[in-house]
Amino acid sequence: MPRGPELERLYDEHAQALYAFLLNLTRDDADTRDLLQEIFVKLARDEKLLSNVRHERAFLIRLAHNAAIDLIRRRGTRERTRDNFAAEFSSPFAPASDPDEETFRANLSAALAELPPDQCAVVHLKLWEGLTFEQIAAALELSPNTAASRYRYGIDKLRGRLRPLYDEMKRTER
Amino acid sequence: MNEEMDQFERRLSRQPLRRAPAEWRAEILAAARDAQAVQPAARVTHRSWLSILNTQFATILWPCPKAWAGLAAVWVLILAVDFSDRDRSRGLAENSAPPPPEVVAQLRLQQRMLTELIGPRESSDADQSKPLAPRPHTERLKILST
Repeated sequence: MPRGPELERLYDEHAQALYAFLLNLTRDDADTRDLLQEIFVKLARDEKLLSNVRHERAFLIRLAHNAAIDLIRRRGTRERTRDNFAAEFSSPFAPASDPDEETFRANLSAALAELPPDQCAVVHLKLWEGLTFEQIAAALELSPNTAASRYRYGIDKLRGRLRPLYDEMKRTER
Repeated sequence: MNEEMDQFERRLSRQPLRRAPAEWRAEILAAARDAQAVQPAARVTHRSWLSILNTQFATILWPCPKAWAGLAAVWVLILAVDFSDRDRSRGLAENSAPPPPEVVAQLRLQQRMLTELIGPRESSDADQSKPLAPRPHTERLKILST
């Protein structure tokens, strides 16, 4: 069982990544906090949970992903309306001082919220965790090909949704 | 599998993510420690009745285990002797041959005579109140001669 200092180390090393991942999937601060706490309570209770784990981060991402998917299923009708009110949900991105950048982040946040959770998870791990498809596949218990195809579908949707804004921003930057 | 990122993807990956609220750290770690502390108590409450009984017995017997062991040995010895005696008497009864019919007839006759001479051992009040009828002398002699 991870003792106090061990729990603190786990939190300091992984909580930020888990927080961003969970927030991107749940889009709710309270749910994200509950799931993050659930993960650490589980780690504290089960002494064997991390005993044979080689990659802590991948294992914790798997725990977070499973917990988030369970939550999304429990939400039911609430989750089905997520697309319509995506803008009202918590953004996983930090606020920007530049208005154009802020607009881009808001649109990106809304576009990510429209993705199915499976695609959103892969896109998040690839873009903001910098994991390879093999690592994503291991963390989410998928084949690398499935991870790659989910990423491609997700990116294509984001590109389609953000293209006008992105092109305009590129023009102004020149 | 092409893992190369294009310009659009690189732009997305540069978008900074929100930081977890600092106050969550203490709250979440405290909740985890509480869960850790609660667990042994929960284990105790889920013990089976057999283990509870075992603990109670151990508490009772612990002060003088030799005396309790001696008492248990004495009880085992008493039970063993009792069972062996019971088996022996039952065996004797089963193994003995039935008496010959002449002996049985003689015993019954003696018993009847004794009853007639002494009278029934337990008689009712009605019988006791009745005056004893005198028997003829010849009949009495016949019984004695037999």
